[in-house]
Amino acid sequence: MQKSKHLPAGRKDRTMVLVDIRETKSVKASDVFLQVRPGKDFELITLLRAMLREQKVTDDQIAETGLTREQCVDFLDRAKAAKFGVFFFGMGLSMTRGKHMNSAALLTLAAELNAFTKFVAMPMRGHGNVTGADVIMRWQTGYPFGITFNRGYPRYNPGEFSTVDVLVRGDTDCAFIIGADPGATMPQPAIDHMAKVPTIVLDPHVTHTSKLAKVHITTAPAGIAAPGTAYRMDEIPLPLKPAIDSPYPSDEEVVRRINEAVAQKADWLGTRPQSIQHQPIS
Amino acid sequence: MSTITLTLKESPSVPLETEVITPDTVADLSRSEIAALTVYHGKRVCRLDDFFDIDGEKSEHIEIHGDLHRVRMIGKGMSRGSLSITGNVGMHLGAQMSGGTITVNGNASDWIGAEMTGGLIRIHGNGGGQIGAAYRGSLAGMRNGTILVDGTAGLEVGMRMKRGTIVIGKTVRDFAGLQMKGGTIVMLSGAEIRTGAWMNRGTIISCQPTQVMPTFAYSGAYNPTFVNVYAKHLTQYGIDLPYKVSAGTYSRYAGDMGVSGKGELLVWNPV
Repeated sequence: MQKSKHLPAGRKDRTMVLVDIRETKSVKASDVFLQVRPGKDFELITLLRAMLREQKVTDDQIAETGLTREQCVDFLDRAKAAKFGVFFFGMGLSMTRGKHMNSAALLTLAAELNAFTKFVAMPMRGHGNVTGADVIMRWQTGYPFGITFNRGYPRYNPGEFSTVDVLVRGDTDCAFIIGADPGATMPQPAIDHMAKVPTIVLDPHVTHTSKLAKVHITTAPAGIAAPGTAYRMDEIPLPLKPAIDSPYPSDEEVVRRINEAVAQKADWLGTRPQSIQHQPIS
Repeated sequence: MSTITLTLKESPSVPLETEVITPDTVADLSRSEIAALTVYHGKRVCRLDDFFDIDGEKSEHIEIHGDLHRVRMIGKGMSRGSLSITGNVGMHLGAQMSGGTITVNGNASDWIGAEMTGGLIRIHGNGGGQIGAAYRGSLAGMRNGTILVDGTAGLEVGMRMKRGTIVIGKTVRDFAGLQMKGGTIVMLSGAEIRTGAWMNRGTIISCQPTQVMPTFAYSGAYNPTFVNVYAKHLTQYGIDLPYKVSAGTYSRYAGDMGVSGKGELLVWNPV
């Protein structure tokens, strides 16, 4: 591992704490392993916040989360003594019961640890350019996801406008999927709805979603045959140079040509159109 | 008393945003003016009479019939009059309202009375999540008023609410009273988990045994006097909140210690 001016011994100067509901292969690589009871993440993080505020908590209350007082105190001492701490969290936290509130709890704990030292929280991203989508939406609209443009300006309300909720409730009469495979991961009502409405898929491969879609457009794989920019997990943009040629167009070209074709159509907004001009992407 | 009756012609295929259906908007409008009010069907700008049969004019009392589960923002920001809905209704019902009455004979969706400052909402069916809550990024939810739900309720009921009363008849899902800053939530049939998480202040009353977060501290059993006042106030809505010393006591839990810990969770223990 990287050695630096402030951490001359590399890995030995760093501490890795692993929190999981069971012993995984990563336990060997970690210095401390904390086995939390399943579904008690939110309670544990809130309890750690209470201990950080030096509130009285009983051993029974701590035991409810699957840890001991010694483990919690040791963890907080290490966190406070660190020069720069990072929480990495993944779907075990954000996709279990409590969902966004589990992530919110960890972000708040990171924020509160900044009273003692530098601390950040960073989500472990899945495959593909998830961070890129968030970053671009953020600087274009001010919000990272779950946005509607139906009034002509962006409105944000996760739960109302986020993909899975919209599809589960059946709030759309068309779906346009670019470089994702929700047909493999989303709940059954969402998949049923995508099969019911006209679904258009842009993907280099035939996916579960393209099997239930009305239209599949094969595109060049981004980063291999199409150029572009991908964002790393820590929001560093990385330019991608294509290594091979593809007979298929890139996602960007397909979307641009659809946009141009839509701009040719007569205005469909009704009697009182809003001030949205179709802008050609040059 | 004249009434404006709106009947949904057929359920819209995508969400219909109808924040114009409030007593404030229609009170002084003729039938043709009401018919010409703007609603948003997805992105399309439509007239109210594209979706509703309209009967009556110039009234503060509105009746709506039909399956309105995709019709959102009904009664948003209303300050007077009454809205009576027969059928299921969509999100943001009575959001940011400051007065008047909404009655629903059916189920309602998420964000009922979000950030409301006054008035009464009564749902005779089930409610959704985020009842009386603060919108994302906003610091305070409902600031006053009353929301009564006879059936069940979803996640984050009363999230960041500052004042006012919410009463839920059947089971409430997770995170009731999340980050509450004040006000009262009464859960007549208890809740699932994480009730009162991160609450700063305010009162949650559960009439059934409920799971308590480990960051809440037991601080005794008693019969708080203010519950008598609440119970008597709620009798007018046909809600029976137990308070008599002869019938039992309330266990008080103080929390959430993860934040300031000045909130209270009262759990009823019958004798």
